[in-house]
Amino acid sequence: MGQDHERNEISTDLDLIARWKAGDERAASMLVERHAPALARFAMSLGQRSDVEEVVQDTFVRAFGSIDSFRADSSLRTWLFTIERRLILDRRRADRRRKDDLSIEERDAATEFDALDGLVAEEAEARVRKAVQRLSRLQREVFLLRVTEGLSYREIAEIVDSTEGAARVHYHNAMRAVKESLYV
Amino acid sequence: MFDCANVEMRELLPELAAGTLDAATSARVEEHVASCAECASELETLRLVRSAFAKSPRVDTSRIVMALPRPVVPARRARAASAPVKRWIDWRIAAALTTITVGGLSLAVTRRFRLPPDMSPRQSTRAIDSAGGSRTSIIARVPDTGRTADTGGGAASAQVARGTERKAQLSFGGGVGDLDAASIEALMGALDELDRAPMAPSAEPDRTPVLPVIGEGSR
Repeated sequence: MGQDHERNEISTDLDLIARWKAGDERAASMLVERHAPALARFAMSLGQRSDVEEVVQDTFVRAFGSIDSFRADSSLRTWLFTIERRLILDRRRADRRRKDDLSIEERDAATEFDALDGLVAEEAEARVRKAVQRLSRLQREVFLLRVTEGLSYREIAEIVDSTEGAARVHYHNAMRAVKESLYV
Repeated sequence: MFDCANVEMRELLPELAAGTLDAATSARVEEHVASCAECASELETLRLVRSAFAKSPRVDTSRIVMALPRPVVPARRARAASAPVKRWIDWRIAAALTTITVGGLSLAVTRRFRLPPDMSPRQSTRAIDSAGGSRTSIIARVPDTGRTADTGGGAASAQVARGTERKAQLSFGGGVGDLDAASIEALMGALDELDRAPMAPSAEPDRTPVLPVIGEGSR
């Protein structure tokens, strides 16, 4: 299954972290190149329309600043996703305090993928985007982490601070909703 | 719209779409998908979602790397990381010097013990001198003990010359295995004499102990 793949990824990341700790700064570049695209995608799926690069950068800065607290119980990518998600939620809370008259989640649900629509050439892909857009935020997070990043329910539960069973239910509900939206 | 009842296969579809399954499992799931319309439809949806969300906004990774904190490296580890090649060379030089030293000493000792068994020590010394070869001898500086240690004309002899800073020479002819018991006894006695001899010779018999008394060095 995907466990060997996961183990290899983890061991590569651990090796790079060890090299960075020993003073090899190229290892940091390699870690950023390995995970930045996935973090950018995840930021988008969380409704981050602008400042994606800034969010990814802040995630890495925060992660490297506390790399000693990374226990390797899960993969580095899962840990980075957890940090990024917390960072984005913190930003939203700060935004909400500034603009407390507007529900961030509702606003995101309506507009968060507009910027990407121009990039989507295929009509089928556009329909998929719209279908995913209609999911609740938690369903969308779980669904995209499972489908686009290939994470296990255990890893997803860790990222969204939930249980494995709940993650499984969110995924299947999301899948059903997307299929209904596409094929019914 | 129905879901496939084979939960195990259905749960593996995202991994199949992501290509992270091993070959055997992948083949098993694909075989199931070929005969299951629900799973085939779900796999198609998964591939569409992956394709729609595969694009990620361009991120300037070099800018991110520049913003990262620098690793806190202990000084010793930093030195080791910066000059690993030099350290390796240092070790090789040390190993080579050790090999040369030990090898040279071994060769000298081996040569000493390879003289013909029927040749007396004096003969052997003369023979080596006349042949222009180098003669290996064990030389120790001994004080004026007034004694000469001689093993008695056997295959080996030890001579201790008189006088301050005079040299005591032990010449060995033939192999140690050729010595009889008495000769070995005598040789060991002579070596013991050398061992007991004080290291710092003087013109007058020295009554002070050779080894410094502990604590005197601080005066």
